[in-house]
Amino acid sequence: MKGWQAASLAEIEDLPGPGTLRWTPVRRHFDVRAFGVNAYTAQEAGQDVVEEHSEQTLGHEELYVVVAGHARFTLDGEEVDAPAGTLVYIRDPTVRRAAVAQGAGTTVLALGGKPGEPYVVSGWEFWFAATAKGQAGDHDAAIAEIDAGFEHHPDHPMLFYQRACWEALAGRSEAALDDLGRAVELGGETFREWAGEDEDLDSIRADARFPG
Amino acid sequence: MSERWVVRRLEDVGDFVDEERARWFPIRIELGIGAFGVNAWRATEAGQELIEEHDEVGGGAGRHEELYLVLSGRATFTVDGETVDAPAGKLVFVGDPTLKRAARAEEPSTTILVAGGKRGEAFSISPWERNSEGLRFFATQEYDRAVEFFERAHREDPSQAGVLYNLACAESLSGRVDDALGHLARAIELQPSFREAAQTDADLDSIRADARFPGSL
Repeated sequence: MKGWQAASLAEIEDLPGPGTLRWTPVRRHFDVRAFGVNAYTAQEAGQDVVEEHSEQTLGHEELYVVVAGHARFTLDGEEVDAPAGTLVYIRDPTVRRAAVAQGAGTTVLALGGKPGEPYVVSGWEFWFAATAKGQAGDHDAAIAEIDAGFEHHPDHPMLFYQRACWEALAGRSEAALDDLGRAVELGGETFREWAGEDEDLDSIRADARFPG
Repeated sequence: MSERWVVRRLEDVGDFVDEERARWFPIRIELGIGAFGVNAWRATEAGQELIEEHDEVGGGAGRHEELYLVLSGRATFTVDGETVDAPAGKLVFVGDPTLKRAARAEEPSTTILVAGGKRGEAFSISPWERNSEGLRFFATQEYDRAVEFFERAHREDPSQAGVLYNLACAESLSGRVDDALGHLARAIELQPSFREAAQTDADLDSIRADARFPGSL
């Protein structure tokens, strides 16, 4: 494999969501392994460029660079105006963070990693990609995305849970029940509760093995 | 560095001005980022070198994977002998640390962001960046602060020849002749190429006449 690559942000295939944002999976495109890096774009003002989340699970620091347009960040309830050229560095992983575009085409580059530890490809990349493909109707592609995630995280309960959902939607009941059981085994009560209310799993809910 | 978050305009990052060279925005240093390296560079004129030719395996490098993003203007990258036209929005990823890479500005104010880290290892600051931080005190002629900075860097990693060389320069400029000669000798022991550099480096003028000064071979 060639030791370097170039591409413009617009050339990398973007994927929808979560929410109203468009995700440009920069890290995946180049297979960057030393840190996380993604770009997010809003097609219209008012759309998300960063979905509301914290980094509590991963413990990542994040640096957002507003590359184009104009965003408004909300950090633990505090609003921050962020025109192009603004750097928003969030050291504390517990901070709730989100950003909304103030103009069409607003683009934010996000870099992340955990200080003091080697970077590991985040599991969410795989279920975000699976969601984009599954919601476009390609359940097999969604399952393949999750499968790729297991190469990095063989015991990730969320990957088992997400695969169970796509398998259930694809009519593969046996595989779905196995994966759901594994998700609850690894992830505990939270996953049992989610399963109780998740419509994606309706096709397997009547089975005796469904976690009650 | 205990704030939970920091918001800064790129324009307000760094105050180290060298008219001859592209402006450096030491983002990682100023924001106190610990998980990856990140800097930006802006050309003051077209044709200027923005990213000097380097690989990531040399003495000052961190064996980093590097991702460049052109934020504004237009640059030409040269990677492993190939050239790449890079207008704003172009990403150039150099995963192989042994490859030579460089970039030149094609337009004034061309700005490049670069992020880096070493695959499979926790982030550690590249020696060149650690040195650059201390070299700022040379520009402002705060030589005692430079000595303090490089002494600390030396304690943290005694194997860095560049740190020892810079420490010797700072000591020479602040009149600490014996310390300067000792650290210069140690720097040359670790990295013999510093012997030649020392012959013409104006920072070492005050100690060059000393009999203990390491002469040209």
